Order: sequence, then structure tokens, then C-alpha cells
Amino acid sequence: MKPAPFEYFRARSVEEAIDLLSEHGPDAKPLAGGQSLIPAMNFRLATPAVLVDLNEAVGLSDVTAQDDGLHIGGMTRHRTLEQSETVARNAPLVTAAMPFVAHAAIRTRGTLGGSLAHADPAAELPAVMLALDAVFTVRSRQGARHVRAADFFTGLFTTALEAGELLTEVTIPPRPVRSTYAFQEIARRHGDYALAGAAAAVAVDEHGRCTSARVALLSVADRPVLAEHARRALEGEPPTADAINAAAAAAAAHDIDPPGDIHASSAYRRHLAAVLIRRVLERAFHSRETS
Amino acid sequence: MILSGTFTFNGPRQKVWDLLQDPGVLAKALPGTERLTMSGPDRYEGVMKVSIGPMTAAKFDVTVTLADKQPPERFTLQIDGKGGVGFARGSAAVTLQEQGDGGTAMDYTSDVQIGGRIASVGQRLIESVSRMMMRQALEALDRELRARIDADASGS
Amino acid sequence: MSPEARYVNARVRRNEDARLLTGRARFVDDVQLPGLLHVAFVRSEHAHGRLIKVDGAAARRRPGVVAVYTFDDLGEYGRPAPVLVPPPPISGLVFHPRTHRPLASGKVRYVGEPIAMIVAESRYLAEDAVRDVIVDVDPLDAVVDLEAALTAGAARVHDDLESNAAAHVVQRKGDYAAARDRADVIVARRFTYDRGAAAALENRCVLAQWDRQAEELTIWDTTQAPIPIRNGLASRLGLSESQVRVVAPFVGGGFGPKIMMFYPEELLVPWASIRLARPIKWTEDRQENFFATTQERGQLHDAEMALTRDGRILGIRDTFLFDTGAYDPYGLTIPINTQCTLLGPYDVPNYSSEFTAVFTNKTIVTPVRGAGRQHGVFVSERLLDLAARELGIDRVEIRKRNLLGPDRFPHNHEIMFQDSAPLVYDSGDYLPALEQAAATIGYAELVRQQAQRRSGTRRVGVGIACYVEGTGIGPYEGARVTVELSGKVRVATGVGTQGQGHYTVFAQVVADVLGVSVEDVQVITGDTREFQWGTGTFASRGAAVAGSACHAAAMSVREKIVALAASVLGAEPDRLEVAGGRVSVRGAADRTISLAQLAARANPLRGAVRPGTEPGLESTAYFGPDRGSTASGVHAMIVEVDVETAMVEVKRYVVVHDCGRIINPLLVEGQIHGGVAHGLGNAFYEQLVYDEQGQLLNASFMDYLLPTATDVPPIETAHRETPSPFNPIGLKGVGEAGCIPTGAAFAQAVEDALNIEILDIPLSPDRLFRLIQQAADR
Repeated sequence: MKPAPFEYFRARSVEEAIDLLSEHGPDAKPLAGGQSLIPAMNFRLATPAVLVDLNEAVGLSDVTAQDDGLHIGGMTRHRTLEQSETVARNAPLVTAAMPFVAHAAIRTRGTLGGSLAHADPAAELPAVMLALDAVFTVRSRQGARHVRAADFFTGLFTTALEAGELLTEVTIPPRPVRSTYAFQEIARRHGDYALAGAAAAVAVDEHGRCTSARVALLSVADRPVLAEHARRALEGEPPTADAINAAAAAAAAHDIDPPGDIHASSAYRRHLAAVLIRRVLERAFHSRETS
Repeated sequence: MILSGTFTFNGPRQKVWDLLQDPGVLAKALPGTERLTMSGPDRYEGVMKVSIGPMTAAKFDVTVTLADKQPPERFTLQIDGKGGVGFARGSAAVTLQEQGDGGTAMDYTSDVQIGGRIASVGQRLIESVSRMMMRQALEALDRELRARIDADASGS
Repeated sequence: MSPEARYVNARVRRNEDARLLTGRARFVDDVQLPGLLHVAFVRSEHAHGRLIKVDGAAARRRPGVVAVYTFDDLGEYGRPAPVLVPPPPISGLVFHPRTHRPLASGKVRYVGEPIAMIVAESRYLAEDAVRDVIVDVDPLDAVVDLEAALTAGAARVHDDLESNAAAHVVQRKGDYAAARDRADVIVARRFTYDRGAAAALENRCVLAQWDRQAEELTIWDTTQAPIPIRNGLASRLGLSESQVRVVAPFVGGGFGPKIMMFYPEELLVPWASIRLARPIKWTEDRQENFFATTQERGQLHDAEMALTRDGRILGIRDTFLFDTGAYDPYGLTIPINTQCTLLGPYDVPNYSSEFTAVFTNKTIVTPVRGAGRQHGVFVSERLLDLAARELGIDRVEIRKRNLLGPDRFPHNHEIMFQDSAPLVYDSGDYLPALEQAAATIGYAELVRQQAQRRSGTRRVGVGIACYVEGTGIGPYEGARVTVELSGKVRVATGVGTQGQGHYTVFAQVVADVLGVSVEDVQVITGDTREFQWGTGTFASRGAAVAGSACHAAAMSVREKIVALAASVLGAEPDRLEVAGGRVSVRGAADRTISLAQLAARANPLRGAVRPGTEPGLESTAYFGPDRGSTASGVHAMIVEVDVETAMVEVKRYVVVHDCGRIINPLLVEGQIHGGVAHGLGNAFYEQLVYDEQGQLLNASFMDYLLPTATDVPPIETAHRETPSPFNPIGLKGVGEAGCIPTGAAFAQAVEDALNIEILDIPLSPDRLFRLIQQAADR
């Protein structure tokens, strides 16, 4: 389990990183936390000719609440997100999901940008960002562009990032009024890849009717999936137990076609999706922690 | 691993059949194919590079053999791919059916055996990767089909 | 005056822990030598195939590569490895020994089988060169499923045999057919138990250094049995035993597979070191370990139990298939353990057990902690549970009705155990243990609440299972105890240590006998230069056998101490006290001499050593029990099942066990905790998944799941003691006990919660989901 030979560059700035990535094209990979990339390299499943280390690049780790939302730099460590009060106030769904991201030790190195760019279908943060309708800032030699989470995850480990591009920042829109959140996943052991997971961001009006019900699912497809059927069933309706049940059943039946593997069959994943959608919606709607 | 399904091509059956027998087309359509050339009757050899996420450019030496041809209706494929990360061997049975609306329905059933390193550490993803590669290949073939039809229509 | 027991049965903290915890313990991979070369193996990607061509030319040309060896380079050395354990003399036994060669030739028979060995300046370069070696394999159908393997058209793992049957054994007691005719109820089922890995924290490692000038070969090896390895390798390499030294330093867990396997790597690294005249090291990585290190646990049972209306066992019949993997170097130890352990603590008057060992295209099978005992327990405990349900008798009650009483010992079961002696239970007291376990877990109250427990989303179940385990078998071990001039004591024994605490446990035994403090006893294990005779650490025998040898040697040294002190102090031996590192005359505090001074006196620089005596305060003793002694126990657990998600949590775990006299309760608890964790792993987390073509689909800890600290509840342990009559301290083994009844108790508990039947282990949430669905559909 030794990696194949590679060249190593340490970028001191975002510009330098982008230059190096552009220069070496698809043969180069950025190194963020390395928690997914290095094992893949040790297994020789990944054999990049060039690694561009981002860990000393300045300006990628800020967490600031601004008028247009919560801005989080791509190199922000999971541990920082987990412990940040700014994040807890402005994006409690992120805080709720963090304890499920691998293990504490891994969270000291893993980064937000790394997790999103890696786009593992079982990862928590892509689903969380999808539920929050976050926007990603992507920079290249040509400048910056913004991609919504819904457009960013395009397939199995595939994102809208092109060669020479770097995900530098994530912006989470400000919390809607009366918004509440819940996250849950089912894993064999604490810290394992989830068999299925759900991240819910909901909001109600002053009469208690649902105005927004975004539930993003992880580990049930090749990318995070927004449970459209659940959203359509609930928006505009009071979130009763029956309504939630029906929404969960509809989403599990129609929004996903889960793959099977040695840990869970397709049928079991679909079943877990229904259970989890129901549970996160119940928890979110009945949560007392509101904005 | 069994991978089966249906795909509808936007073109008549004979054209789809001809497309599937053309190594030049297959080389363009199959994702990551660097080279695919005929090495004998109904036999192709080449190189494919598979890249998914962190797995960069896993190179496979591929041999594809066609058999049981009943044009333009059905045939079987034997695939043999060997690379540094493992191997893939299998067979597929393909049937084509003319649809009323000018399209062609393709039914495929394949049984592929994956071995080596990707089999032992990539189980979470093998089904997803295979489905994805199949879908990409078929969509690319469909694009090529439509390009040909358009070319014919414009008389080139 | 016999020694005072100060340390035996005391919770002494381990002598070795400070070194282990501060990184000062040396493991094989820590050994650095100048000019060290590194090894990587080219391994088969196919489970079964004809090996047409192996071409190392390109690999040899790669800079940094020193040598590439294939089978053709080995000559005579390429002959098959020895059969390690010849089967016991059971009448009618059929056994076809087929062992592995150091490198594959002609055929490959399992994924991971070594095909070529690359020696290079670094492991990085060696792995780079693996890609250069051209291997041409013509794939054959793989033999994976045990039943399919025995059908007429199946591919054959070994072409010179008529079928894939590696062995066939029948053991009988009484007349089961007649018992069956008399029965009021017959319970019959098919049970499966699937493969698991030992997953020791430290992977295997072999380092060999051939000193050309001294003509000495030193091998550092993570082996549980240095002496047999030394003897076997010396013979195979054409060296004398005194030219070869095998050292097993600190070893990070063994659990069975690190036994004297003569693994290909163990055979080749020393051989290459001699050829290249350079030190060579091979360190197994975790991925390799899943293929290259042996595994165990695959069995398929068709079993039935015949009972009377009030739940008395009239007889048991069991027919089973045992997966031995691609080769069978370890003989039939595992399935014979299964046959014997199935009888449990029960009075089984009639028994018929038949097994066929089956070759498959998977990694070689040798004992892993438990070594086939859990399978026997699973079958008999499950049959009892099913019978209880059918007869409407409580599960604990039906067990009580069948337990052997304390007056039934020694109890001869008339069938043969793995040590070639008849299976005889020497001592035990089963009923109080069962009652204690039931009381501790609150069994009666839980039974009363059964209806409640089976309702709602979270359902609770209780499981309770009994076992009897043969431990402490021969042939023998030895020890040498020496009082040094410093007054400290040195103990050397041939067994290896993989974390069991031998450095402490043997020190406790000797410290008590010689009246010194345990920190002043230094124990050396696992070095053939220090001790030359013995077998190894396996089958829960370290304390019972090697510990007894230490005891015997220490007693002999004590006699010398007393005899010499008597002459020096001018007193009668029976007036002397040996304590605090000194010998003193009772009642006369000024007439005393330290052990250090005695040691000096015992080895005079002038004068003579009288004929019939030996210089120094040193003795060597050997201990070989006639037979193993039987430990026993009861495990009880409470599980909680979320019926919506099919996730299971173990809420409480109780162990009541009897391993005879205990040297160190702290270490015994450690062994039990480790065993229980392993057992829970095999019950619900760990399963090596092979596909129909023999590909292992989960060769990493990402997908092969070990229970972590958050998955194992605190384990409540209670000890009971029925001392073994076979060794002076009364010890029985405990290394494997924790994982033996776990599967049975777990299955019973989940059944209790959900009112379904669980006949296959391991269970998984996916499988449980399907069982719950099927039950709901019915």
C-alpha cells in the first residue's frame, strides 16, 4: 500500500494553486485534507502525477457571516465547522451533521472544499449543502464563477469542476424566518459510511403551514438527491404526521433508485430512505430551535 | 455482477446494428477508450482509460469479441479487460427491436466479473460505476447515431 | 514450607505495558539493519486458473530492483510446505493432505496466492515493480460454495483428487438412530457460519539476516511458534538448528493465524537472504493480510436433536461441511473441535457427527480464536432454543434439565478431541454458573415482560448460552528459571507472546514461588536462542502449560535455594523462610542471606562443585499434561432492535466463566473482553464476502467491519473456579472463551426480541431487514 511516484508542489496562495493546476491539467490533483485522496493513492487506485498542496495557501479558511449569507472558505477544517458558534447560529444543519462526518481525528484534517469536490455519494456535506441551497464559488485563471449546489454534483464522484478550477468558497443563504433543521443517518458503526442519510431544512409560516421542505438524501444514489416528491407534498400544507408519512413514502418510491452493495440491498436502502425522511421531517418540524 | 436494462435509440434498427459493429464508433462512444481496432473477424482490441473521481486514468487492455450474430436482431459480446487495478471479464446479450415511432429498443443483459484491487476495495461503487459507464456509452452511441442520421439527411 | 501466594490471583498490572505504551517495545518491523532490502509479492488476482506464464524480465530491469524470483528459481526448495497437524487416529478417517508451495506453480488456487517475489531497495520500488511482472493466467471456474463444490461437475481445486473433499470423519457415541425412534420431538435445521479474519493489530512481518561469516541465520518473525519455525526452516534450508535463531519479539496479536504456518513469505525471505547475502524484510500491509494470512469460520451444518416431551436430550445428529480453503496444512483441528464442543455442558447419551472438509478457491483456513468451537456451540444451543420453543419450555429451564451434574466428573464423551485423546471433561460445575448468569442479567423478569418487549419500534431481547471448552492441551512446554547475581530472577520459555501478558503472568507464578517481587522477575519468551524446546502459543494453553513449566522450574530452584541456604546458615531446611528476596531462619532475624549472595555462593570462583549438584541457582523443567482440561462458562446478553431500521445494539453483556485457578484476574478479564468483542464481531459485523468467482469483496476495514469500543458494551464478568487436576496450580485456558458462545447468545437474543428464527451467523442489518420483511409477509 505504497503510492506510485508523484511530484509535489506546495501552493502559498490561491493564484499559485490555480496556476499549478492549470499547468498540469488532469494529471494534477489538489491536496486538501487528504483523507480520501491519500488512501486512494496508497491503494494505487489514484495515481496523480502531481499533487498541489493547498494547506498553506492563504485566505481559504475564513468563516464569516455577511449580509448575503454565511461564507465558508474551502480549506475550513471539519473540526472548525463543528465547533464554530457562527456556523451553529447561521447554519445549524451543518453543525448537526458534523458529528457524523467520519471520526473526530479525521475531522481535524478533512476540509469542506475537499469533501464537496470529492463528491462521495455517501458524504454528509454535499447533501447538507444541497438542502441549504448553497452556492459554490469556483475560481480559475479565467476568474470566478458561482455554481448552485443543485448544479454542482453531476454524477458519481463527478462535479462541475473542470481541470484547473478550484472550489474556494461556499456561501449558505441567510436562514429563512421560522426555519428548523434536522440530520440523521444510519451507519453500521459510528463513523462509517452511511447506509442512508437525510438532511432536512424546513420552514413554516405564522400559521404553522409548511413554506419550505428541502430534504436531501445521501448514499441512496450516485450523488445527493433532493426529495422532490416530499417537497411538493408538504409545501403549502400543515406538517401533520400523516402528511409527513405520505411525503416520505412518495419520495422513497419515486425520487430515488438506490444501488445495492455488500452492505445494503437496493430495497433496504429505499426502506431506510423512507424511514429517515420521515424521522428528520418529524424532528425538524417539532424542533424548538428556530431563528 | 448482473447489469441489465433497456435503452431506446433514436433511429431505425439497421442503422443501430451497423453502428454497433463499427469499431471506430465504439472507440468514440465507450468512455475513456483511447484506441479500439479490429484485430480479427468480430474481434477488437484496444486500450481504455477509466477515470472516476479520485481514480485517475486506470488503464485497461481490452479485448471484445462478438458472437451469435443474428443481424439486425441480436448478438452477444465477450469482454476481457485487464489493468493495474484489476480486471473485468464478462458477456452481454443484446437484442434490438424496431419501435413503431422510428426508434429502436435495445435490451441488454450482462454478467460481468470484476476482480483484483477494484473488486476488493471498490465494492461500494462497482454497481454505480458500471451503471454510469453503461449509460454514458449508450448515450454517446445515441448521439453518434443521430449525427449519422442528420448527415445522411443532409446528403453528405 | 510451601510458598505463600502473594501474586497468583492478584490484579497485578503488567510488567510490559510501560514499554508498549511509550513506543519502546520492539516489533519485527522496528528492526533496522544496514543494507536492508524490502520485499513485495506479485499475487494472483484470480481465484482459480492455470498459470501459463510468469515473466519477471521487465521487473528485473527496473532501477532499485535487486531480484525477482518465480517458482522456477526455487528448485527443490519449491516443494510443498509440511502438514502441521496430522489428524488424530479416528477410525475410518479420510484425509487428503495438500499443502501450499512457496510460490505458485502450474495453477493458482486463491486470490492472493504468491506468484513472484520482488526484492528491492524499498517497498515503494518493490510495489512499482509488481506492475512490471507479466502474469498470464487462464481462468478456471472457481469453487466457492461448499455444497456446489461437492457436486459431480464441479471444477477441482486439486486435479489429482477425485473431488474437492479434503477429508471425511465420522464420530459416534451410543446409537442415535435408536434414540431418534424413541423421541417425542425432533428439531432439525440447517445452520451456517461464515468466514471471518483474525485481524490482529499488527500484520505479519518477516526479516531475515544471513551472516555469511558466522554462517548464522537470524529470523525475526511475528510467529506464535518460534521453535517449530526454527526447526522446520533449518531443516528445509539445509542448516543445523544451532545455526538458526528465530525471534518473535513483541507481537501485536496472534489469534491463531500467526502459528507455525510456514507461510510462503516465511519460507522465502530467509532463503532469499542467504542467496543475496543481505538482510531482507517483508512487512505485510493490511490489504495483503486479507488474502495472505489465514482465515476461518466457514461451515454449513444440517443438524437435528431428538428430545423427550420434557426437554431431555436423547441424542444429536450433525452432518456438516467445513471450508478448508485452497490447501489444508492444519489438518482437521477445527472441525474436530466443532464435533467435540457441540456436546456442551449437557448429558448427550447418543451422538452422531459427520463432516466433510471441502477445498475451495479461497484463502487457506487455519484456526482463529475459538477454532471451530463456536460452531458446535451455535448448533447445539440453537437446537435447544428451537426445541424449547416447540415444547413450550423456558430456555434456561431446558438447559438446566440437561446439564451434567457435579458428580459426573470425569465425564468421558467417548469421541476424540484435537489432541488425539478421548474427549474427557475433567472438572466443572455448570448449574450454578447458569443460575448466576441468568440472575445477573435479570432473566426471569425479562421473560415476564416478553410481550411488552416485543412491541413498539425498539424491541428488546435476552439471550443466554452455555459452553464447555477443552483447553491447555499438550504436548508440552518448558521453562528455565535462574536467580542472577543481582538477586533478580530470569525466566525463559519457548512460547511466544502476542499480548496475553506472559511477561507478567509467568513472573507472578515465579515471584510467588521464590519470594521475590514481581517487578524483579524478567521473562523472556519467543527467542530460540534463549529456549530450545517447546511448541507455541495456541489453543488456550499458554498459562496452563508454559505457566506450569515455569512453576515447576521455580519450585526446583526453590529447593536449591533452601538446600544451599540451609548449609550456609547452618539451619534445618524446614526452619527457613524464603521471602522478600532473602532466606531467613524463622524467629532469628539476624540469620539471613539475600538471594543475590546465595547466587554468588552457588557459583564459586574457587573450590569445587560437589558431584551430583549443579552450579548456580537455575533449573529447567518441562510440563506436559496427559490431556487438556475443560473450562466452561455462560454468556448472557440483552439486545435492542430498531425494527424500522434493522439496527441492533447490545445493551448489556454478562459473562460467568470458569477457567480454573486464575493467576491474574485483570488479564483474564482482558482476555474475556477481547474474546467477547471478537465474538460480537463474528455475530453482527464481521463477514468476509466472497463472490461466485472467489473474489474477496471487502478486503479493507472500510468494508470488513470490526466492532469498535462504541459497539461493545461494558462486560460484566464473574469468575467461578473448578481447578484443573492436570497441573499443579489448577489452571485452565481462557484465551478463546470470550468468543465461543457469543453467536449463539446473540441469535437467541434477537429471536427473543423479534420472534423470528435466526439460523445463520453473522447477521447484518440488511439480512435482518429481509427476515423482518419475510416475517411480516407471513
